[in-house]
This record gives sequence, C-alpha cells and structure tokens, in this order.
Amino acid sequence: MIGFGNPGRRDDGLGPAAAERLSSRSIPGVVCDTDYQLAIEDALACSKYDIVIFIDAARGLREPFTFTKIKAAAAIPPMSHALRPEAVLAIAAELYDRTPDARLLAIRGHGWTIGEGLTEKAEKNLALALEFLEDFLKGNRS
Amino acid sequence: MARKITIEPVTRVEGHGKVTIHLDDAGKVKQSRFHIVEFRGFERFVQGRPYWEAPVLVQRLCGICPVSHHLAAAKAMDVIVGVGPDKLTPTAEKMRRLMHYGQMLQSHALHFFHLCAPDFLLGMDADPAIRNVIGIIALNKDLAVQAVLMRKFGQEVILATAGKKIHGTGAIPGGINKNLTPEERDQFLKGTPPPTIDQTIEWSLAAIEIFKAYHAKNKDVVDGFAAFPSNHLSLVRKDGALDFYHGVLRAVDAEGRKVLNDVDYKDYLDHIGEEVRSWSYMKFPYIKSLGKAAGWYRVGPLARLNTCDYIPSPLAQKAFEAYKAYTDGKPNNMSLHTHWARLIELLHSAEVIKELLLDKDLQGTKLVKKGKKVLEGVGLIEAPRGTLFHHYRINNDDQIVMANLIVSTTNNNEPMNRAVHWVAENVLAGKPEITEGMLNRVEVAIRAYDPCLSCATHALGQMPLEVVLRDSRNNILQRKVR
Repeated sequence: MIGFGNPGRRDDGLGPAAAERLSSRSIPGVVCDTDYQLAIEDALACSKYDIVIFIDAARGLREPFTFTKIKAAAAIPPMSHALRPEAVLAIAAELYDRTPDARLLAIRGHGWTIGEGLTEKAEKNLALALEFLEDFLKGNRS
Repeated sequence: MARKITIEPVTRVEGHGKVTIHLDDAGKVKQSRFHIVEFRGFERFVQGRPYWEAPVLVQRLCGICPVSHHLAAAKAMDVIVGVGPDKLTPTAEKMRRLMHYGQMLQSHALHFFHLCAPDFLLGMDADPAIRNVIGIIALNKDLAVQAVLMRKFGQEVILATAGKKIHGTGAIPGGINKNLTPEERDQFLKGTPPPTIDQTIEWSLAAIEIFKAYHAKNKDVVDGFAAFPSNHLSLVRKDGALDFYHGVLRAVDAEGRKVLNDVDYKDYLDHIGEEVRSWSYMKFPYIKSLGKAAGWYRVGPLARLNTCDYIPSPLAQKAFEAYKAYTDGKPNNMSLHTHWARLIELLHSAEVIKELLLDKDLQGTKLVKKGKKVLEGVGLIEAPRGTLFHHYRINNDDQIVMANLIVSTTNNNEPMNRAVHWVAENVLAGKPEITEGMLNRVEVAIRAYDPCLSCATHALGQMPLEVVLRDSRNNILQRKVR
C-alpha cells in the first residue's frame, strides 16, 4: 500500500494519512508506505508484491472515494519529476517483468491550501474509504 | 498574422509553469515569457509558529527537495539558538552533510536518467510516448536499473539521516536528533539493499561517459543550444572548494571575474536584490552592485562549477579538470553543459557519501549544542537546483515574525526566460506550426535548470501539457495537448 501526497497541503495528505492509519492497525500481510510523490524507485517496490494499492487524494470526485483497478500506462509525461501510479506500473512491468494486481483508492479532498490536518469533510471520506479498504483486505470485496 | 504560443503544464493547485511566446506578423519573436506560480503564501504560513518548528514545516514547500528546505531552515535556526552555522558538533554537521549529499545524489540521478537522458539517448524529436524512462528501458535496461537503484540509495540515505521519508526531523536547531548506527552505515557500504556506495560511484562515472559520448557526436547542439553569457552565483567553501552545505557567497561574471567576492551570506540583503515585474508572480533576483539589468545570474550545477576553484574529491576533481579544459578554464555559459556539471556533482556526492560513511564521527553521541539566543538568522544551502536562501526573524516569545525565502528556481528566473527566448528565436520563429520536437526544445531549455514545476502538491486531476497558438485577436489557431 502506497499512500502519497503532501500533508502540508491539507487534503493532499489523504494518501499518507490513509497509509499511516492502516499501518497502525498492523494488518497481517499488508505493508504500508508513504511518499510525497511517486518516483521511479517505487517501481522496484511494486515489483515485490502481488497486490499494490495506491492511495491518493482526488479533486473533482462526486463520491467520497473510488476504488478502481488500474493498469500500466502506455505513455509517461516527459516534463514532471513525479509519476502517476500507472506509470510506476509500466516501469515495473518493463524493468522487472512484474505486473502486480493494482488498484487506486482515490479519496475526495476538499481543501488544498498550505496548512496541516485534513478538512472535516476529508476526514469523513477517509473513514469511509478505510472501512471499505479493510473489508477488501479481508476478502469481502473485490 | 501575429501569433501567441502558450505552453502550460498546469498542476492542480500551484507551482505550475507556463510559456507564452508572441510572434509578430512576420513570424519573428516579439516577446517570450516563462511564468512560474510561486508559493509566497508559505512565508506567511510560518509566521506565528515557534522557530523550532521551521525545519519541519518548510519541507512542505516542495515534494522534490524537502531536505534542502529542512537544512536551510535548520541552519538559520542554528544562528537563532546562538550556535552559528559552523559551530555544530562534528557528528551533527557530518550527519547533516550525509543527508544533504544523499539528497543531491538522488535528485541528480533522477534528473539525468529520468528527465535528461531520454532527450540525449532517444533524441529531442523522438515520440513523447517513448521519450521517457520507458524508452530508456527499451534502449538500455541496465541504465534504467541503475537509475532506480541510485535513486533508492539516495532516498535510503535520507531516511537513515532524517528519520522519516516525509517530513524528516533529523536536523534541529543547534544540531541533529540522531546519529548513524553501525548497522545503517553497513547497509550503505555493503549494499543491503543494493547498490553499495562503490557501485554508485562506478555508475556515476559511467553516467559522465554517457554525456561525453553524446557530446562528442552532437557538439553543435550541446554547445550552442540556449548558450548565453551570464553571471554565476553559489556558495563555495572558504578555500574556494565546491561545497553544497556551507561556505561563503561568491559570484563570477561570464568571463570569470569575481563580482561577489566570498561574502558572508548573512549579509545577503546587502548584495542581492529582487526585482518585481508586473507580468510574473516570481521575482527576478540580481546582484545589487551590477544593477537590475546586468546583475542577474545563474545558480545550480553550471554556476557552481563556474564559481568554485576545485572539487574536494579525487574522481570528481579529475572530471572537473576535463570539464574546465573544454572552456580553457573560463566560465561555462552553455546551458546544456549544466547536465555535464550535474553529473560531475553526482560523482562528487557519491564520493563524499563514502568518505562520510567511513568517518567514525557519524557514530558520535554529541548531537546538539546550545548558545545565547538571537532574534534573527539566515541559512543558505546549495540545493540540487541551486542556491537556496532562508531568512527568519523571531520575537521574544519564540514566534517567527518574518520569513524570506529565495528558492533556486527563483534565482534562475531570468536565465530560464533567456533560455526560452533563445528557443523561441532559433527554433519556433517563422515556423507555420508547432511540432512535438519544437515543443520539446522549449522543455529542454527549461529542463536544464530543473525547476520545481511540480512543487508542493499533486493528485488525480492533473492537467496535461497544453500548447495553444493564438492570433493577434486571441483566436486559437492551434492547440496541442499531451
């Protein structure tokens, strides 16, 4: 599980917050990591696991969260230091010949200004997302 | 018909860049501008916070080089707690250096392998779909593996010294909060996880050879692309050596004459001014004694290798001598040679990391010093992209009342604008339409300076790069999205 984003930008920190909270629950077989943004070395981490769940903040969602299966990207933007999860998967596939079952948990954020802590609405979305994710990890959801 | 070209990689919140090029009726460049939305709001955010929180808070400025902000703020706070920037315990200073050189290594490796190598190895006209690390994998899988492992090595050094991957807490006012355990040290020396530091040095040497091979075959492009004279500014060690962590402020002009002669950086306001231009969110720094028009300067790898007298590690010094010989010892003003300079710095970083890992001071237990508190402190550091200024004032209740930051990308504002202008005049002007290759050349010019375009935040919903051609009536003639 990789939760990524900047906790210094309010709800942009939803990803790390989700990973940290899951980590504190010590779920067997689940390894949680956090990052500011995804980069090429995350491909190495992805190549070592059967299932990889990326957790990110999302803007513009109507739902509190979405949970979708994702695949390796066909193209990678050339200008940015940061990578999208699909690009990380593409690098893992090309470099390590590994294509883990990958999902993206996108949690709706509401505030993006410089500041600490999630907004009240984002906290509610996070709680719902984590409840769903724990069910998924228990095998109750696909 | 007069035209306006806009290139805008828009991120979700801010820290985004935008290029606007106006062409006149004859297809000549009328004006070019490179805008970056700067995050000045952060300086207000830290006001009212206790000073000791600053080294952690400021990391939220940037997702790319948080360690630079962490250490620059910590250096300013060293002054405020009365310890001063160069009176830390040996363990504290060397742990900070290890953290910083680890960051330089991972940042420079990422830049070369992920952002620069695709241009060089696959060509500036290559399809954007493959002009990236995926294309590098197809071309040379071993090189791509090196890229991943060198990045990981640097990140692990940061983790071992800063304590956390996000919002590290290693540097504190007056010192550091942990040393390096023998187990952590051996991880980097023996390579668990790989690579070892010796392997990293070997790969750094090989990366320089990749650049030199490309240069040998493409001298006209590498030497001529966005080449223009400028001043160059950086920290140097008091004896003139390259130093990323601490030193005095030196600037040389395009001919190598010292225009800022090893001044104490605490007095930076006496020497550096910041011009405001109505069209840009970002200021334009300049050396006051030279004035606004002539005082602008480059920072970063190219500038550092122009200001320093030598590099204090043997392999990088040898590479530096070859680099300097290419310009007969004169300052190098060729923008794409920034990549060459960056790779020499990559090698130097790896050598310094090895030297530090073998130093028993890193296992020392004297971590923090205290002194008599003062109300103002300045901290400077050479971040991967160039000189980074942090300046704070506090009140008697220990709250920050003023913060002034000049980030590397701001220091390079005018050079990046000049580089874009060069491309506009030499590549885009007079052409009937924008091709992918032309667009990439604008990016190549900007990318040499490695600005923090994707700073601060990211998430789903990021917009792609957009290029818009407009006529003099602002009608869209052509639009490109990728």
